[in-house]
Amino acid sequence: MLDIHVGDNGSVVLAGRFDASQAAKAEAFFDAVSGAVVLDLKDLQYISSLGLGTLVRVEKRLRGSVGGGLTLINVSPHVRDVLAYAGLDMIFKIGPPPEK
Amino acid sequence: MARFGLGGMFVLPSGENSVSGAGGLQTSKTFPRSLDALADIFGFIEAFFTETAIPDEALNSVFFVVEELFTNQVKYSRGHSDGILLEMRRNPDRLIVSLTDFDTERFDVREAPDAPTDLPLEQRRPGGLGIHLLKRMVDGLEYEYVERRGTTTFTKLLR
Repeated sequence: MLDIHVGDNGSVVLAGRFDASQAAKAEAFFDAVSGAVVLDLKDLQYISSLGLGTLVRVEKRLRGSVGGGLTLINVSPHVRDVLAYAGLDMIFKIGPPPEK
Repeated sequence: MARFGLGGMFVLPSGENSVSGAGGLQTSKTFPRSLDALADIFGFIEAFFTETAIPDEALNSVFFVVEELFTNQVKYSRGHSDGILLEMRRNPDRLIVSLTDFDTERFDVREAPDAPTDLPLEQRRPGGLGIHLLKRMVDGLEYEYVERRGTTTFTKLLR
């Protein structure tokens, strides 16, 4: 199950598992965001290829406005690996890894 | 129904089959052809990891590969209502996982071309990455197609 909400500091928080069954829910949420968006992945346990595809779509749309785009923070080793395999680590702005 | 695991006997939820023997501990279950089944599939895999003491490091990559194979089967074989069979076998040094789709067209993921991963964002298209990624997460990949039954099997070495 995926939980997606705006956190206390204004970042968008993804938590849980972002699998294919959650893509529609995530896309509906992201349709409402704009500009520069910080995406906090501290509690994201897992992301699938469909989840990645959703983030690519969001990034494309956000970069259509000046200064727009996603910044991924607190990226776990699993998500970092998947981004790297897909060459998306060169596309997204990625912040430091989660604190231990 | 009961099954014998590495550390003793386990009680199985209905619909699952599991045995141990010379080939290692194994389990299987048929899941409905729906993305809504993914949560149950993940739970089934997670339980097998726990019961057979497979290190957690392999869990997310197994989730990823199983989800990719399963969703492909759901998307591209819609003409019938048979479920999809998931089988797992744990040997001392490896996990072997198979997904079988019944009454389907032939589709060997090994033959799918790799996705370009060096394109700039404006040339990226959502989708198409799944099979490319799954090939990098497994240590072996096989496909068998017999009488319209397609089985993809992957191996994950346990380090």
